[in-house]
Amino acid sequence: MKLIRTKRDKLVFAISLPEKRLLFEVLKLYPLISATHHRLSKTARSAKHDENQRLLEESLAAQREENRKNVRAMLDEPGRFQAAASGFQLTLSGPEIEWLLQVLNDIRVGSWIALGSPDPEQGKKTTFNEKTVPHFRMMELAGTFQMVFLDALSGR
Amino acid sequence: MNCSVGCPNRNSALETAHTTVNQTITGALDSCARTFYFPVMATTATPEVRPGIHRDEETDSSTDLEPGYRVICWNDPVNLMDYVTHVFQVVFGWQRQKAEVHMMQVHNQGKSVLTRESMEKAEFYVHQLQKYSLHATMERD
Repeated sequence: MKLIRTKRDKLVFAISLPEKRLLFEVLKLYPLISATHHRLSKTARSAKHDENQRLLEESLAAQREENRKNVRAMLDEPGRFQAAASGFQLTLSGPEIEWLLQVLNDIRVGSWIALGSPDPEQGKKTTFNEKTVPHFRMMELAGTFQMVFLDALSGR
Repeated sequence: MNCSVGCPNRNSALETAHTTVNQTITGALDSCARTFYFPVMATTATPEVRPGIHRDEETDSSTDLEPGYRVICWNDPVNLMDYVTHVFQVVFGWQRQKAEVHMMQVHNQGKSVLTRESMEKAEFYVHQLQKYSLHATMERD
């Protein structure tokens, strides 16, 4: 998958059929992180903080629902992937790439959490077995698609 | 608020109305956790009711409105460096160079203080960063 041109405020990517299948496979996992995963503060402890934490979780849940609808709409939209000579052309606007990046990072971080939050620099290595390999695969796939979009946005 | 000037119930009516309006407004602003000032209406017919300022006892404006909250991004080994840089650029409107400096701080030192803000603004930034699944919190100075 690569950026082939910009058209007004939109970016057009060439994507092969296998890549398209992989992108769909990844996006269908969204969301992986629960709304209660994020904390507003590491130290604050008060009734007011608890209320603000609850509001944050509600807001993140609403955001996830919005993103989930966007993903569903994108996967179901017939003209989104235009057939081309060597696969398809995927056209996305800047805001669409922003929520796709959020979605992909949710899947990447969620897969990493499912792997046990490995951190090789701290000596916490990834354990590979039948249970963990699918999570590792999704984490890496999500990261690969993220890099394609980030490179496109930065003009690389 | 329908009592006329001189009505013996006017004071209590005003107080009731004031309390109701104040509760409504402070309730609506509760999510922002800000102090709200609502002056009691002055009246010439009942001079014993002095204008005053109501202060919400649940909040502390001196700290909530001052930039006493640090917005911190913590290191998560899973987040891509380019992604973190991009998110800082989008959320704070920074140039790439500044965003990269903070990204490298997160990477090398485990965290970076991105900004100091009032409580309300700090909450906003933390929310924006968490929308992108970055590990961000707000801590008091």
